[in-house]
Amino acid sequence: MSDAGATPLFVRRAALFLRSGPFLTVLVVAAVWIVAGLTMAGFGSYGHLRYMLELAAVIGLVAAGQTLVVIGGGIDLSVGAIVTVSAVGVPLLPWDADASGVAAVLAILAGATGIGLLNGLGVAFLRVHPMIMTLAMATFLQGVLIIVAGGSAVSMHNPLVAWLGEARPWGVPAGIVLWVVVSLLTLLILHATPFGARIFALGANPLATSLSGVDVRVTTMAIFAASGLTAGLAGVLMLGMNGQGYVGIGDPYVLASIAAVVLGGTSILGGSGTYAGSIPGSALLVTITALITVVNASPGWRSILFGSLILGLLLLSGRESRRR
Amino acid sequence: MSGSDPVLSPSPLYWPVQRQRNRGVRALFCVVAAFVAIYAYLFPGLLSIGGLSKFCQSWFPLALVSMAQAILMLTGGINLAIGATVSLGAVIAATTMSGPLGAPGAIAAVAFAGLGIGAICGLIVVRLRLPAIIVTLAGSFIIGGMALLVLPRPGGEIPAWFSDFLAGGTPVAALLLALIVLAWKLYLATPLGLSLYAAGENPVAAYRSGVPVDAARIAAYAISGLLSTGAGLYVAAQTGSGDPVIGQAFTLNSIAAAVLGGVGFLGGHGTMRGAIAGSLLLSVMVNVMFFLGFPPVAQYVAQGLIIIGAVALPQIGARGRRA
Repeated sequence: MSDAGATPLFVRRAALFLRSGPFLTVLVVAAVWIVAGLTMAGFGSYGHLRYMLELAAVIGLVAAGQTLVVIGGGIDLSVGAIVTVSAVGVPLLPWDADASGVAAVLAILAGATGIGLLNGLGVAFLRVHPMIMTLAMATFLQGVLIIVAGGSAVSMHNPLVAWLGEARPWGVPAGIVLWVVVSLLTLLILHATPFGARIFALGANPLATSLSGVDVRVTTMAIFAASGLTAGLAGVLMLGMNGQGYVGIGDPYVLASIAAVVLGGTSILGGSGTYAGSIPGSALLVTITALITVVNASPGWRSILFGSLILGLLLLSGRESRRR
Repeated sequence: MSGSDPVLSPSPLYWPVQRQRNRGVRALFCVVAAFVAIYAYLFPGLLSIGGLSKFCQSWFPLALVSMAQAILMLTGGINLAIGATVSLGAVIAATTMSGPLGAPGAIAAVAFAGLGIGAICGLIVVRLRLPAIIVTLAGSFIIGGMALLVLPRPGGEIPAWFSDFLAGGTPVAALLLALIVLAWKLYLATPLGLSLYAAGENPVAAYRSGVPVDAARIAAYAISGLLSTGAGLYVAAQTGSGDPVIGQAFTLNSIAAAVLGGVGFLGGHGTMRGAIAGSLLLSVMVNVMFFLGFPPVAQYVAQGLIIIGAVALPQIGARGRRA
């Protein structure tokens, strides 16, 4: 690495960092926050920013698993349904005997992981394309949810979930603490473990990875299971913040998680990217939604604005895919 | 086209090639035939002109969106905005049909909107090299928003004669479908149509062989948009009014039908006859389940299972043969 001559290593590293997708996304978020905070009353207040971060935590949790799947060359379109499963499932579990509510949450998280594992099984062993497998899973879950839960909202009485949604240890909402913990774990797994290296290899070239002795099937199942788990966590957090779950509560998170991942500079084709980009990507999405709400337009214009802004941001951050 | 056209004037190679192309979908055709037989057994009324035209009417929009999805998947793309585009077509039809230009004006507006939206999506995907899945996902919000702007709540009006013509007791839908399939055959014989498979299978090799890859892909997006808004027009004629969210279910169903029909995600693999057979299977299945008294939501469960099964079974079969 010393043949580059005059420019010291840290300068080149710094230059690389300044041009990286995650950093640019952070810059965009910061710029939007500063401009909006100066021009709109109440936008820059501590309470509002904290609220936006809480909302971003839900997207960020879903995006954590989605990032792993996308880097591994797949895509998970069932995250919305899994969020709904866990938001509707916790109140429906008849476990009143357990006063703390831990058992119900653990059971739902295990269930969500199991759904992800099923996705992974289908992709790895039945060789179904990830998009089909997860779309079919989402369709299947949607049917089951309507049969089980019906059209009405279900309220929850789970102390642990309520604590997650409302508690503020050291002034920081518990949801954000959860997000930070999951983020650190995801980044650690992705960039500092052999398993993380295998995910990148799998996304870059599955055949070469398989020929190098990596068990591609186990890796595939693991990333889909991880996606199920984080979607399940997001559903529990949503339930805590909302107080009730209903069928369809998780639907927006399919697009949101994919957009957060791609806005963060992860290639949708797999093999390159980082969760460090998805974190500001999630914040950016929530910011966009908040701005659109402030504009106070009709639902039609709101939808158009949302789609156009995502498309426009993609043009900015999609440079990596252009080179491929 | 010149006289040596491969589709219009059958050469000695035509039928062997068609047999080769049918190989992948033969099993599907058998399953579809079996389902149609079950349906006809349960509902003997199917075997009359009226019953047949009613069935074709319920199948027609799905067949159109499946073609819209398949043509994009053949080029290696995907369209997640089909549902929103169907809705937009429906609301445009419902609002312009009773306007000053009447039915011809409404049909022109719907066709123009579909072609335009498709072409814009195609331009963004092809020229700006953004992934199709994200562009069309974001596009579904924009197009859905436009549908809400045109008609904020269900309403509008389709003249009764127009509804009767398209969705009355006559097999107009079946005829239209036959015409569209014929048009597809003709399109495949044009330079752009011939480029479609090449652009999907191996874009770089196709480009270096002088195939207009970009034009073929953008044209595919435009045709996809046209078919989707056309399906919207038909849905509006069926229901007699416009609904800004009526198309939502078509996105998934179109993908399901194309995949059931053996159209691959990576481009260049599959046939339109497969996609149409896939849509026929889905719509017969829905009708049979309705007839057997399943609750409507059970369709979702069955559909999810059938899609996975249909895609996975050939894989398992192939592995069994290898072992």
